[in-house]
Amino acid sequence: MGEVIVITSGKGGVGKTTATANIGAGLALRGYKVALVDADIGLRNLDVVLGLENRIVYDLVDVAHGHCRLKQALIKDKRFEGLHLLPAAQTKDKTAVKPEQMKEVCLQLKEEFDYVIIDCPAGIEQGFKNAIAGAEKAIVVTTPEVSAVRDADRVIGLLEAAELREPKLVINRLRPKMVRQGDMMNIEDIIEILAVDLLGVIPEDEQIIVTTNRGDTVVQDQRSRSGEAFRNIARRILGEPVPLMDLERDGNLFTRLRKIIGLG
Amino acid sequence: MTLGPEQMASEFRLAKVEDHQTILVQRTLRSGQSIFYAGNIIVLGDVNPGAEIVATGDVIVIGKMKGTVHAGAGGNEGAMVVAFRFEPTQLRIAGHVARPAEETLPPGKPGLARIVDGAVVIEAFSLTGDRKGPPSVLQTLPNAPGMESKARRTGAKRRNRGAVSDKAR
Repeated sequence: MGEVIVITSGKGGVGKTTATANIGAGLALRGYKVALVDADIGLRNLDVVLGLENRIVYDLVDVAHGHCRLKQALIKDKRFEGLHLLPAAQTKDKTAVKPEQMKEVCLQLKEEFDYVIIDCPAGIEQGFKNAIAGAEKAIVVTTPEVSAVRDADRVIGLLEAAELREPKLVINRLRPKMVRQGDMMNIEDIIEILAVDLLGVIPEDEQIIVTTNRGDTVVQDQRSRSGEAFRNIARRILGEPVPLMDLERDGNLFTRLRKIIGLG
Repeated sequence: MTLGPEQMASEFRLAKVEDHQTILVQRTLRSGQSIFYAGNIIVLGDVNPGAEIVATGDVIVIGKMKGTVHAGAGGNEGAMVVAFRFEPTQLRIAGHVARPAEETLPPGKPGLARIVDGAVVIEAFSLTGDRKGPPSVLQTLPNAPGMESKARRTGAKRRNRGAVSDKAR
C-alpha cells in the first residue's frame, strides 16, 4: 500500500509542477514505483514539463468517469524505471472531477504504486479541494517572497482544517547571495512564520529552466545544485536523515578546491 | 469581514464584558482564519499576518501578534490588546483604528495597547508587571471607514507625547 502526497502552494508560479516532476523522478531513481497525478484540470502542465504531452490518450477525467481503465490512462516515463503519469484533461475544467472521484482514483493508485504524488493547481477553490481529497500527506512549496509565504500560511491552515496535519515545507528558488545581503527572506524567517518542518531548500538554478523547457528533469543531473536538492528531498521522504546542503558552496570545482586547502 | 460600529453594536450588544466571558484559543491563527467572540480572547499561539481577531473585550496573545486585531469591538473603550510580540498589521480598539508605526515599539518585544485620553496608546509591556518608558501615542488612521475617531478630533499630535506623524497621509 503506497502513500499519497499532495504538492500544493496556494500561490501560482512557485514551482509546484517542477517540484512534482523532480521529486517523483527522484523517488523513481531510488527504485520506487511512483505515479504522478496532474490535478490541474484545464491548465495541465505536468505532461509538458515531463515531455510526455504527445503520449496522452486518456486522462484523469476519463478515469474518474469510468470512460477508461486506470492502466490505460497511465503513461510510463521511459527515462525513469517506475515513473508514471496520470495526466489532467485540457478541454474540461475543475468541476469535471468531484472530491469523491479523486479519492477513488487515489485509492486505486495506492494499491499499485509506492508513492502517488499529486500536482495541485494554484488557488484554494474546487481544484485545490479535489487535489487534497485523496491525499494523506502534504508538501507545501513556497518561494522566499512575502506573498508566497502568506499564501503558504493560508494553505497550511486549510490543510490542517482538512485533517492533513503537519505538512512539510519546500522553499524554492532561494538565492543565497541575496539572502546574505539581506535582500531576500532567509530560511529562518520563513520557518518562523509558517512553523512547519522543512523538507528541503532548492537554490535558484538556471538549469531548471533549461531542463523544464526541454521536457526533462534536473534531478538526475549530478552536477546541478538544484538536482542535488531534489535528490535530498526524495531521500528525506524515504526517511533518510539528510542534512541541508551548504547553499553557500560554490559549484565551481576550483573555488571548492581552494576552500578545501584553506585558501577560500 | 469588517463590521461597522452600528452593526458591531447590534451584533454584540454593548454590554460590560465579564471575566468569565473569555475563550482560550490553543492554536496558531494562520492567514485567512478569524475569530469573533463577544468577550475576551486569549490566544496560546501566534496570530499570523492575514489573520483576524475581533473581541468585544480584551485580546491577549501569548505569542506573536502580526495580524489584524480589534479589541472592544462594539464600542468598549476600556478594552486593551496585549501580546508577547506586538507587531500587528492593524490595531483597532473600540472605534479607533491605528496602524502601529515601526518606531513605536522595538519589534519582538511584548506590548500593550489601550485608549488613553481618546487616543490609542501603545506601551512596552514588561512581564513582571511594571511598564517601561513613556507611552507613545499612535497616529490614528484618518480615513478609517465608518469609524470616526475621537483621537483624531482631539489631535494626537497636538498633545505632543512623542506622537508618530505620517506626512504622507
